[in-house]
Amino acid sequence: MNNLDSLPKKKILSLFMTCGFPSLSHSKKIFNEMLSHQPDIIEFGLPFSDPMADGPIIQEANKIALGSKLSTQQSLDLIKYLSKSKNNTSFVIMCYLNTVRKFGLNKFINNIKSIVDGIIIVDLPFEEESAIKKSLSKNNIHLIKLISPMTDKKRSQKLLKGSKGFIYYISATGITGSNKLDYKEINKNVKSIKKMSSVPVLVGFGIKSKKDVIDISKKTNADGVIIGSALIQKYFDLKMDLNKYLKNLKKFIQEVKV
Amino acid sequence: MKKYKQPSTVGRFGEFGGMYVSETLMPLLLNLDKSYKKIQKDKKFKKELNDLFKNYVGRPSSLHFAKNLSKYINGPKIYFKRDELNHTGAHKINNCLGQILLAKKMGKTRIIAETGAGQHGVATATVCALFGLPCYIYMGSKDIERQKPNVFRMKLLGATIIPVESGSKSLKDAMNEALRDWIKNVRDTFYIIGSTAGPHPYPKMVRDFQSVIGKEAREQILKLEKKLPDYLIACVGGGSNAMGLFYPFLNDKKVKIIGVEAAGRGAKTQETAATMTSGTPGILHGSYSYVLQDNDGQIKEAHSISAGLDYPGVGPEHSYLKDIKRVKYFGITDKEALEAFQTCSKLEGIIPALEPSHALAYLIKAFKNKHKNKVVILNLCGRGDKDLFTAAKAIGFDADE
Repeated sequence: MNNLDSLPKKKILSLFMTCGFPSLSHSKKIFNEMLSHQPDIIEFGLPFSDPMADGPIIQEANKIALGSKLSTQQSLDLIKYLSKSKNNTSFVIMCYLNTVRKFGLNKFINNIKSIVDGIIIVDLPFEEESAIKKSLSKNNIHLIKLISPMTDKKRSQKLLKGSKGFIYYISATGITGSNKLDYKEINKNVKSIKKMSSVPVLVGFGIKSKKDVIDISKKTNADGVIIGSALIQKYFDLKMDLNKYLKNLKKFIQEVKV
Repeated sequence: MKKYKQPSTVGRFGEFGGMYVSETLMPLLLNLDKSYKKIQKDKKFKKELNDLFKNYVGRPSSLHFAKNLSKYINGPKIYFKRDELNHTGAHKINNCLGQILLAKKMGKTRIIAETGAGQHGVATATVCALFGLPCYIYMGSKDIERQKPNVFRMKLLGATIIPVESGSKSLKDAMNEALRDWIKNVRDTFYIIGSTAGPHPYPKMVRDFQSVIGKEAREQILKLEKKLPDYLIACVGGGSNAMGLFYPFLNDKKVKIIGVEAAGRGAKTQETAATMTSGTPGILHGSYSYVLQDNDGQIKEAHSISAGLDYPGVGPEHSYLKDIKRVKYFGITDKEALEAFQTCSKLEGIIPALEPSHALAYLIKAFKNKHKNKVVILNLCGRGDKDLFTAAKAIGFDADE
């Protein structure tokens, strides 16, 4: 059973949060709040010291999480603990390759199999993926593919061959949580991706509000959205007051769960 | 011995190197690789670059017999490959000229770069001024503080300096920020990486542009000594000056090659930049190579008195050369480098940068009263002007700015 195989057809909501941010115990509460709304997907970011494809907000979250000496094992244990109340929500890990390598691929997979449905390894390009993809698929974990506006048609075709779970379309040529959304470009590229693959296409990077979510759904052919930086930014905006944040998070998720 | 032929077409030096970047960058790197392959065959490009080397940089740089230092060590005959005499005071300009010519050919209109010691930043700002392109330099705020003269130089040359406050506020973080800038501005921007680090094709491309150092040195020593050198010595941070000197000699099995890393307060302490002595293989900045990391693969902060060596990674080709045992790597502490910095200044009338001072320190330490009748070439890859305040402070001299 892989929850990603039974995602709804439209308006998929994926929420991203860094594991262990701002601390392990608070992180547990934040993820529990997220889970209580049963979003379609939760993405668990494993903190890395040099998250070069993420923007300053997620980098700061990584830094804070690592500042409390959070280990990879603790992050994976947290995900395991949360999976008890997983239900239909898909669990996806988002991380950098060095984290997996250093932990050991087999040990990593043993820790997450039957718990995690998919994994996004940000800095693992198509050219380097084959061995890892094979091990993952043996354990029914989908390797999620990223497509950027710079990926041309020929390359997309190669990348998308046999893709499973969903496709993460990077909406702006930019790092997470920056730049403005260009709906025309998004629509054009999502359409082109959908011609090559039958799995849902989710748009991520730069989605901040209910309005963005509605606009993506109205103005493009995308099947859903990924919200990450905006969730973390709220925590900083609320001066890191956990109780206020949890209330705000609840309201925000209810809003974007259209 | 089989002829040395690295990297593979996908940028592998043995198992090291590769392209570990997000899909936002992959298409760009593949495109860069393609463009680079094309200009390698372009005679006009070569001619243009050689003209600039000769008339703008002042190449070839001389091969100076360091008579006094040789006498002092009472060991081998020591030659300095004097890349510190280049325009802008270090070897960095060689690579920058190559890359900006490539950027021009690719139709890019905006240049970014990272810098540690500021030498690569100055060299990039210089070529941008020459070619009239806007230049943005990412520099750790800690480095901005300790390399003030170079910061002012870059500003004079018209570059915009972007201080980096994240992480350890030095070279590693500057590179992260520059990569982010590139992801954001992929369409018009060319990223001039200053070392043999980063994803393919950078390690190869930078090595190729820097290999003018070794090619010249080879010709020069054959003329002067009628034979190849017995030893080559160079300092290694990311490793571009060392690769530049080493590369044209890799097939000469009799030439022993030594890379000297910055051990900071000691290779066994937490305050070191000796990646190959103290590190393990991992992925940093898009490339698989030795890195300083903890058990969870989190990259550690490096430490060295020399900003140019203060990097927790190293170019993948060095990792490969270490593992096949073609090059031996050793660490030199801040203290040893500072002593060599003074010794060289007094004996040869050449104030070296703190980076090659590490190579000098190893030479003095390991060759004293040994290896007589042997010939050594040491890459004096930068001059010490930029380090005067740092050195004065460390030595305890009151050099009021």
